Amino acid sequence: MGMGSNSNKGSGRVTMSEINVTPMVDVMLVLLIIFMVTAPLIQQGVKVNLPEARAAAVEASDKKLVLSIDAQRRVYLGEAEVLMAELEKKLATNAKAQADKELYLHADRDVPYGVVVDVMAAAQRAGITNVGMITDPSAGGRASASSKGKKEARR
Amino acid sequence: MKALLASLVLSLPLAALAQAPVIQISGATFQPLPLALSTPLTQGGEVKSSATAVDDALLFDLRASGLFQMLDRASFLADAKEGMTAGSINFARWADVGAEALVKYTLTREGDELKAEARVFNVGNGREEFKTAQSGPTAQPSQLAHKVADAIYRHYTREPSPFLVPITYVRKSGANRDVWVADWDGRNARQVTQGGINLLPALGPDGQLGYTSYQQGKPDLYVRKSGGDTIRLKTNEGQMATGIAFSPDGKRVAYALADDESAQIWVANANGEGARQLTDTRFGINTSPAWSPDGKRIAFVSNRGGSPQVYVMNADGSAVRRLTFQGNYNQTPNWSPRGDLIAFTARDERNAFDLFTVHVDTGKISRLTQDQANNEEPSFSPNGRLVLFTSTRNGPSQLFVMTAEGNNPLPLPVQDKAAITTPDWGR
Repeated sequence: MGMGSNSNKGSGRVTMSEINVTPMVDVMLVLLIIFMVTAPLIQQGVKVNLPEARAAAVEASDKKLVLSIDAQRRVYLGEAEVLMAELEKKLATNAKAQADKELYLHADRDVPYGVVVDVMAAAQRAGITNVGMITDPSAGGRASASSKGKKEARR
Repeated sequence: MKALLASLVLSLPLAALAQAPVIQISGATFQPLPLALSTPLTQGGEVKSSATAVDDALLFDLRASGLFQMLDRASFLADAKEGMTAGSINFARWADVGAEALVKYTLTREGDELKAEARVFNVGNGREEFKTAQSGPTAQPSQLAHKVADAIYRHYTREPSPFLVPITYVRKSGANRDVWVADWDGRNARQVTQGGINLLPALGPDGQLGYTSYQQGKPDLYVRKSGGDTIRLKTNEGQMATGIAFSPDGKRVAYALADDESAQIWVANANGEGARQLTDTRFGINTSPAWSPDGKRIAFVSNRGGSPQVYVMNADGSAVRRLTFQGNYNQTPNWSPRGDLIAFTARDERNAFDLFTVHVDTGKISRLTQDQANNEEPSFSPNGRLVLFTSTRNGPSQLFVMTAEGNNPLPLPVQDKAAITTPDWGR
């Protein structure tokens, strides 16, 4: 961002001529729009035990890019595994995600909160402003999710 | 050209149009097709060195075409070893990066020949739409790329692409200005003249190349035939002849002939005989003739109204009509092969040069470039979809290409420290 880029010029006090973007990024992260999506429409190749939620949810559109995190904390775009280090670049260059500014997060219930936040922050840095959290509305969801999983069949 | 296009459209059965997608190129609703070009699958180590060159040229052709939104390969999710057939391709992974069309291709080498096989897939329905096999010399991998790009372009537009047609331009080197001919993207450049001052080259049909040269101390017109023989056109002795332009059938040439008082437009047979004066304005300057695609009219620049403006007349000099009324410095007209538009260079109130088009019938002016240093000397592609021009936006004057609407401007991939001027795209 070039923050403090003129600090090595001259001596003594220097004027910070650029906006300090750090607080702005924090605000931006708060502004990330999060909503809940019900699972049944999403047929993913990645096996994930979804959290159950009774909150009001929107119906998923199967045209959005789905970002999955499985119980082993592996990250997938669609059904392709992506290294966490590459996730931001993959999302920033992804024409579909950039056109929609939206993706669905399909994370296993046992994934630590910190990992989910890391993924969401990467998405946010890549310019994704809307994240739909896919949840399972039914109590029997766990069983059906595992039976549907194709367990990384095509990798 | 126009007649050819008309017959192409007429001969297309409607059923064929309904089956395969045809990209409608013009109109406000036009959206580039999101296209993923996979990296080439190569067979054998020998071909690897050529593969990058083919791939670079193919990517540039497709990107510059204006038809496609070329998807960033960094986003691709597909397995690098994925196959070439619809059955082996995981289309969901291509849909996940936003691709609506997918091009996969292989490269192989057989001695001095490079071969490419390309397949175009519809990502939405997972079907193979089209395939093409092309070959070209190993020494010039970009030529193979242009052939593949042409086949893909034809598949989507039902029109020939501009990628197989050469360009010419002047390259400044020290005190010399030489005429060069190159492939459309500036690759495979060949020097035509050897030193001295050579200007305003033009490509005619049948591989003719005309230019203005000071070989004999004053500007004269030269024509190089496709075989390499060069003749000097016998124009009026003692006068300065500049700016040759071939009629679309190649049988006539138009040029400007100047004496101490004025410059006038003349037309002669391609061998310089039968010369006839078309304009006659005492003390006025008439220059830069450009033929209409049907060969019936000529656009030119005249200062008869006080400032340089674009005019149009019949090819016999009758019915002169002023076409541009905005600005006070309009020059270098180039007539679109589609017939409707003339592109020209205008100097605006800030003394910057920019490109515009004017509609021949309505006089409607459209701006193509803005706020990007100087942009000059437009030349339409043979299908009228693209415009080649020079720009100083990156420093010295270099070749750029954009769509005829002024979208998607790209520098040609071969950039040069020397200044490049006055490009002309062959027909």
